Amino acid sequence: MSIEVKNLIKKFDDKVVINDISFHVNNGEILAIVGFSGSGKSTVLKIISGLIPYDSGEILTSDGDIAMVFQYSALFDSLNVFDNISFALQERKDLKHKYSMKDLQKIVAQKLELVGLSGIENKFPSELSGGMQKRVSFARAIVTNPNTILYDEPTAGLDPMSSTLIEDYIVRLKNETNSASIVVTHQMSTITRTADRVIMLYDGGIVFEGTPKELLKETNPYTKQFVTASLDGPMQLKA
Amino acid sequence: MITLAQYLKRSATYKLFTTLFSEVVMFLDTIGGIIQLGIHFISRIFKDGISGKELAAQCERFGISSLPITLSIVGMTSIIVSSQVANEMVKQGGADFVGMLMTILIVREVGAVMSGFAITSMIGSSLASELATMKVTEQIDAIDVLGVDSVGHLFIPRVLSGILMMPVIVLIASFVGVLLGALTSNLFSGLSYRAYFSSVWLGLYMKDFWVSLLKAATFGGTIALISCAFGYNAKGGAKGVGIATTQAVVWSFIAIVIWDMVFAILFFF
Repeated sequence: MSIEVKNLIKKFDDKVVINDISFHVNNGEILAIVGFSGSGKSTVLKIISGLIPYDSGEILTSDGDIAMVFQYSALFDSLNVFDNISFALQERKDLKHKYSMKDLQKIVAQKLELVGLSGIENKFPSELSGGMQKRVSFARAIVTNPNTILYDEPTAGLDPMSSTLIEDYIVRLKNETNSASIVVTHQMSTITRTADRVIMLYDGGIVFEGTPKELLKETNPYTKQFVTASLDGPMQLKA
Repeated sequence: MITLAQYLKRSATYKLFTTLFSEVVMFLDTIGGIIQLGIHFISRIFKDGISGKELAAQCERFGISSLPITLSIVGMTSIIVSSQVANEMVKQGGADFVGMLMTILIVREVGAVMSGFAITSMIGSSLASELATMKVTEQIDAIDVLGVDSVGHLFIPRVLSGILMMPVIVLIASFVGVLLGALTSNLFSGLSYRAYFSSVWLGLYMKDFWVSLLKAATFGGTIALISCAFGYNAKGGAKGVGIATTQAVVWSFIAIVIWDMVFAILFFF
C-alpha cells in the first residue's frame, strides 16, 4: 500500500468541501479522481500533498516523497530547465550537499530522457510549448524518486495530440517508478487511457468507485450524467 | 413591528461602527500576518542558512539596479530644498549655516526617507508582483511540494538584501544630496562652496550618521518584508497580483513614515 486516505473531512469556514471520503492507491496503480468543477478533486490532492490542512481523518503513506504535477506546470519561470528539474536536489536541506554538479547534470539528463526531452537543459520555460512545459514538470516531480505522484488535471489546456502524449507519459512514469499515482481529471480520454481505478466526487463525497469500464457502463446515475455530459441528472452545476 | 435591536442594526451609526470595526480587524489581521511571516523568516535563517549566490543576486537587484532612480529622487529633492532655503538664508544673513542645515536635513531625513519611497516604488512593487505571480501560478506551492520551505527560500535573500543594501544606497544618496545642495546654493544664491562646506561639518555628528544607517537598514528590511508578505499572500489571478502590489506599496509608505517617527522620537527628541 502506498497511500491510504481514511474518513477525510475538510471544511472551508463552515462549508464542508470534502465529506468523509476514504480510498487507497497501491504501488504501480493509477487512480483517477473525476467529477465536475468544484467537486473537491483538487482539494483532495492539495491535502495529500500537504499544501492545505484537513479537519479530520487520516492519510497514511509509505516512506518516501510525494510529488505533484500542477495543472499549469508551475515551472519556475526565472530558472532554466536544468535548475527547475534539479531544484529539490539543490535546495532541499537533506539533499543539497549530497550531489555534485556532475551528478546533477546526469540526473537531470536521465529525467529529461524519460520524458522525451533530452538536451533542453538551458532553455527557459517561456521558450517551451505547453506540452513540453508539462513534461518538464513531470521530470521535476520524479527527480527525488517519489513513491506517490499526484497529477492535477495534467491535460488541461493541451491539444488532443499533446494530451495523448501526456497520458502515455503518465503510464510510462508509473511503470518506470512503480509509484502510486493519483490523476485528477475530467477528461474521458485521460481516464480511459491511464487509470486502473476511478472514483467520482460530487459535493465532497464519493458517488462512484470502480474501473474505467464500469464508469462507461452508465449504470450509476452520477456516472451516466458525467459520461454523457448531460445537464439533467442528480448533479447540479454550481453557477 | 420591529424590535429595538433590529432598529439599531439599521441605523447609520451602527453601520459606521461595524464598518470601522471590520476595518480595524482587517488592519490588525494584516499586521499579524506580516509579523507571522517575519518570525517564520527569521526562524528559517537559523534552520536553512543563507544562500550566498541568491543573496548576491538580490543585492544586485536591490542596490545597483535601483541606484539611478534613488539618486535622481534624493538629488532632485536636495535641489528643490536648497534652491528655496539657501536664497532666504543668504538674504537673512545665515549664509554660513546653509551647508549645516542641508546636511542635517539630508542625513537625518531626506536621504533615508526619499530613498525609502524610491525603493518602495521600484523594488518593493517588483518584489510584491514577482511573489504574487509565483503564488497565483502555483510556483510557491511547487516549492513547498518539492520539500523546500517557500518562506525561507523566497524571503531570506530578499529581506536580507534590503537590510544590507539600503544603508549603502542611503549613504551614496545622502552624499550626492549634500553635493547637489552645494551646487544649487552656488548657482541660485551665489553661496561659495567654501562657505557651504565649512558649515557642513557643524551639522554632521557621528550619531546622525549611525542613526541614518540604522534607519536605512530598518526601512530596507521593512519594505522587503512587507512586499514579500503581500506577494506571498496574493489570491486570485491578475487582479490579485495588482491588489497585492498596490497594498505592498501603500503599506510600505505608511511603515516608512511610522518608522521615521519612531526614530525621531527615540534619537532626536
